[in-house]
Amino acid sequence: MSTTLDHAHGHADDHAHDHDDHHPHGWRRWLYATNHKDIGTLYLWFSFVMLLTGGLLALGIRAELFKPGLQLFQPEFFNQLTTMHGLIMVFGAIMPAFVGFANWMIPLQIGAADMAFARMNNFSFWLLPPAAILLVGSFLVPGGATAAGWTLYAPLTTQMGIGMDMGIFAMHIMGASSIMGSINIITTILNMRAPGMTLMKMPMFVWTWLITAYLLIAVMPVLAGAITMTLTDRHFGTSFFNAAGGGDPVMYQHIFWFFGHPEVYIMILPAFGIVSQIIPAFSRKPLFGYTSMVYATSSIAILSFIVWAHHMFATGMPVTSQLFFMYATMLIAVPTGVKVFNWIATMWKGSMTFETPMLWAIGFIFVFTMGGFTGLICAITPVDIQLQDTYYVVAHFHYVLVAGSLFALFAGFYYWAPKWTGFMYNETRGQIHFWASLITFNVTFFPMHFLGLAGMPRRYADYAAQFTDFNMIASIGAFGFGLSQAYFLFFVVLPSIRGGEKAAAKPWDGAEGLEWTVPSPAPFHTFETPPTVK
Amino acid sequence: MSDQNKPGNLRTALILLSVAVAFFIGVIIKHTLLR
Repeated sequence: MSTTLDHAHGHADDHAHDHDDHHPHGWRRWLYATNHKDIGTLYLWFSFVMLLTGGLLALGIRAELFKPGLQLFQPEFFNQLTTMHGLIMVFGAIMPAFVGFANWMIPLQIGAADMAFARMNNFSFWLLPPAAILLVGSFLVPGGATAAGWTLYAPLTTQMGIGMDMGIFAMHIMGASSIMGSINIITTILNMRAPGMTLMKMPMFVWTWLITAYLLIAVMPVLAGAITMTLTDRHFGTSFFNAAGGGDPVMYQHIFWFFGHPEVYIMILPAFGIVSQIIPAFSRKPLFGYTSMVYATSSIAILSFIVWAHHMFATGMPVTSQLFFMYATMLIAVPTGVKVFNWIATMWKGSMTFETPMLWAIGFIFVFTMGGFTGLICAITPVDIQLQDTYYVVAHFHYVLVAGSLFALFAGFYYWAPKWTGFMYNETRGQIHFWASLITFNVTFFPMHFLGLAGMPRRYADYAAQFTDFNMIASIGAFGFGLSQAYFLFFVVLPSIRGGEKAAAKPWDGAEGLEWTVPSPAPFHTFETPPTVK
Repeated sequence: MSDQNKPGNLRTALILLSVAVAFFIGVIIKHTLLR
């Protein structure tokens, strides 16, 4: 895929100078923000704060698990930590971070002046801080935060205190925000592309977000329905999931995972998009198999709707169902394999260089693929019945969501930050951040495979003495990973906002796309006159 | 930013919103009626 701007019709640069100062200043700029770049920045800062919050909870978990026995927390509070860590990371950190990237980059990549619904965009963002306050504030109410696990399974959810209601309300608000954001993204992509920007000329990041937004619209209302029924079970006398009243707790699991499995792809497809932008740029070759990448992304999205019960093999189901969900899950390896093949084929015989974005992207391919393989192992029903609810599963999904989603977010930050801030980040520090994160990530999560295979169950504050060594290694790695992210904030992000080497309009010589035709930093208003794409 | 007021944008948004509402109501109605 290649898009070239017809400079005879592209007015991004001259408009930049006309309107550079036409924006509000001070707090009004952010509270009343309707500019896609400002809202993107708000999303990115919000998600980073939530990443640090969820990270602190994770360090609490790892500190408790450093030794067997109870060190710091009571088991009830430990369960609150694991639950809130999951909810905050999924709904507060990873998802809003990708929405931040979408806000910043989609209009720039398709040659649109802004998102389709600028005021709704503002509302989508400003719903998030109150939801986050509800979620985090639930630690302070009687009974503490919800401790039912991020999956919010019945019957635990029917037994918790007011923290559970706060969690449900927060989920409702964040879900509404996601749905509005998705409607905005789909409308923008379908209706506001520059002339000549056909669907099959769109950058892969835009494609993956288009598909992700459809997934969100289909599944977030299902989650909202499930937690609404939980709420009515708790307070309005219904018995959807309450077995004592004739309800079915397993039904909750079916509904939750009908949302939950596509949710996994909601958190990884935009990551695929970011990596698909970076690998060609630093290989100085067009993306290998662009069309197959689009179809593979769509296939993964469609398959994600028919695999949900692989999360529930241990609940008991007919053998035919087990076989169906096992084989359907394994089928996802095919389009995912297409993607990994295409990334490697793009690098093959390319003029590769290894600046920080490329390091993160290659690191992503290695480590995410390991998470994919352990996913295949978990998909095998008899194996899963042994491994479910052990640390093997914890290792698996952290390889997918940290080494997958988070690494791709870092890759995207280093790739596009020069366009956002107008300054180049410090390359040495970026590479230190990458290597420190890669090593400490593996020190944290690789031993968890062994712990899981040996039978250590998840979601307990204590463990048998035989698991001590690997837990100590994992805890040391986790604190190292936390320090790496503090280094990222103080030695990479803040300095690169304050100043540094000026970034060129196109700082990466292999990069392609409309976002590199506007100056760095991108002016407040861009593409008010749409560019023409050849 | 003329194309931000395209009627097509509103139509697209309403179609997508109705899908979301249908899923939300559908999942509750299904479990209210089909038990």
